[in-house]
Amino acid sequence: MADATTFTNQTQILEPFRGIKKVTIEEYFTSGHRTCQGCESALVMKLMVKASGPRTIVLGSTGCMYVANTTYYTTPWVVPWMHTQLGSSGSAALGTAAGLKALMKKGKMKSEPINVIAFCGDGGGADMGIGAISATLTHKEYNSLILLYDNESYANTDIQLSGMTPYGAHTTFSPPGKAHRIIHKRWKKNMAGMMAAGHPECRYVATVCASYAVEMMNKVRRALTIGGPTFIHSLDPCPKGWDYDPMLSHELGELAIETGIFPLYEVEDGQLRYYGKTKAIVEGRARKPVREYLLKQGRFAHFTEEDLSYFQSKVDEMWNKWEVPGVVPFRRVDAARTAATNT
Amino acid sequence: MAALICEVVYRGIFQKNLAARIARGIVLSARKSGRWGIAFGRYGDSPQRNGIPAKDFAIVADTKEELEQNMARYEPKHTDVTIVLDDTLSKGVESWAWYGLQPINRLTVPNGTVLMTSVQPFESLLQDIHKRDTAYKLSLVRAKASFSGLWVHKEDHTEARILGALAKIAPSFLALDGVSQAIREIEWGSDLKVASARKAYDRLETRQVKITEGNAEIPYSFEMPKWWEMREGVTIPAIPIGKPKEGGQGYVPERNPYFKKFTTRTMRPVIDFDTCVKCNLCWISCPDSCFDVMPDATFDANMEACCGCGVCEAVCPVESCITMVNEAAFEDNASQWEMWRKDKAAYKTWLTAKIGDKQTTVRSHGFRFRGQYEQELTRDLDGGGVEITAGIPGENAAHKTV
Repeated sequence: MADATTFTNQTQILEPFRGIKKVTIEEYFTSGHRTCQGCESALVMKLMVKASGPRTIVLGSTGCMYVANTTYYTTPWVVPWMHTQLGSSGSAALGTAAGLKALMKKGKMKSEPINVIAFCGDGGGADMGIGAISATLTHKEYNSLILLYDNESYANTDIQLSGMTPYGAHTTFSPPGKAHRIIHKRWKKNMAGMMAAGHPECRYVATVCASYAVEMMNKVRRALTIGGPTFIHSLDPCPKGWDYDPMLSHELGELAIETGIFPLYEVEDGQLRYYGKTKAIVEGRARKPVREYLLKQGRFAHFTEEDLSYFQSKVDEMWNKWEVPGVVPFRRVDAARTAATNT
Repeated sequence: MAALICEVVYRGIFQKNLAARIARGIVLSARKSGRWGIAFGRYGDSPQRNGIPAKDFAIVADTKEELEQNMARYEPKHTDVTIVLDDTLSKGVESWAWYGLQPINRLTVPNGTVLMTSVQPFESLLQDIHKRDTAYKLSLVRAKASFSGLWVHKEDHTEARILGALAKIAPSFLALDGVSQAIREIEWGSDLKVASARKAYDRLETRQVKITEGNAEIPYSFEMPKWWEMREGVTIPAIPIGKPKEGGQGYVPERNPYFKKFTTRTMRPVIDFDTCVKCNLCWISCPDSCFDVMPDATFDANMEACCGCGVCEAVCPVESCITMVNEAAFEDNASQWEMWRKDKAAYKTWLTAKIGDKQTTVRSHGFRFRGQYEQELTRDLDGGGVEITAGIPGENAAHKTV
């Protein structure tokens, strides 16, 4: 018998904030955590729950945002928060959403839409937890948001390389040496694109950057309003691991977008929409050279001109060769042939 | 039989490599002076965070047995020399491992030495360093705090100068010749660094600190819950939601009462409320939610929550509306907005003095662009260091436009 369950799950209707002056004044993630000076991920936590409002449960997998925030018997969270294991943000999100639904169905708690957000770092999400996240994104009858805060390394344990570490970056596992300058030669995973392409029934996937705070919050609100399993990928400059003056956190986030390294887009019900500076790039505005972004970070201080131009060529490829620029990396055979005959 | 126990108190990540070099340099210098030694970081400080105070230890002993006796401890309870790599730490240390504020001289033995890098006079440092009931010595290496980051080290000879100073403080453990030999032989060594160590040895300034001297304030502390007081499932109450400032206007968030951020801070924002355009950018961009919303819709940086990152200055669209000023220029954590409300003319005078002083507004918080540290070293840091710019100097640098 076919299952009749569809998207009848009620969600909170969170209208987008129309400008910075309209943003909720209350904080649901407050001061007194032990993150670094200029920690962009802490800002993401703050904006994430500011966007979702008080009727929210947050689940955090192991990483900086667990360890640094909730040090022994203290918390900066105003909303309910629970720790979950490193690779289990997906299962925790699904389980919590299912648990709430069951309790409400049985009349054991008041029936109301409650936002469930699980966050994970790039290590916990893109490396270890990717299987559980993928599974959760196929369970369309449960409302949950998984937010990946990507600081491009295992930052909590002092910057080990992750699947999201960019090409050539200096990490504890990839120190540049005299004989081998570039140790990390793998290109970063395309996490949001993968989630959007691989889960046809996931109704909302977005990429965000907290340097654009209002837009970032509105993507969170959109995801929670749409419901079902949703996924947001946030790029978070990390002063500790990227090695830069903490004052530059905001600027580096902007540069990541303006250079085209990290595209901003949302995929809603299969419809792709670029937004912000990325939209301008797609519409023909020139991208800033990647060197403006790379040379402001100590983790790329060993780069030569050759490395810089390799990095630039890979980013150019994202925009010029990918089937869907910045989102889907493969190309149709025909298009590739045409390109070959043209050159 | 005797041992020399040193702690190196520093800013997490910014000075992690510097502190490790110093602790290691102490051990190697000890070997060259015919002693034994060990260097290690404090377990409770890991994983480190930018700016949050952390400690390394180095122990030097006459014999291996003596050294082993000291190694058997989890971490030293007393230190002969407390080495402090940033003078704003004289306000106290609130590390990961400690709950409450720990005076910088807390572990220093009676008549021991606090060795600090600072350009401040003794008297102004003693306004910050907490008073204690035994006398000790305060020694100063004249230098600004050396900040870099995890990957690119700033070769400003701070480690060599500290080692040279230590040879003066504890000559029976570290001979100056032993220090020189160690610096020359380890990988970061050079003859120039040896010369720096010797100069620091000659120029070290030391002063006795009497029990009547120091900051009389009782450091912030609280009781940790006992295990039998914890709730089922080790759950803890959430932080309550905040309240309006006054008359139903503004907003002050409740904050985690157990962790303050102010010892993490090396600089603090000074705000010109008269030029504030109420754009909300500092408030929304602050990772530490340190801005209280005032009834007039301006924003006051709460000095118990601010960790001094400087993002607010970077995002502020008004020239000199928010300026980061070195923590050494302040005596307390009082509200700037209340000061401004009380007497606007007096506040303006205060503000102009604070943000006009090049010495305390120069920023040196790690990597900004390739080649910056070399530039900083060739210029006089005290006179302004390297300009704060957007973009890469020599290619596309503009004066700070953000």
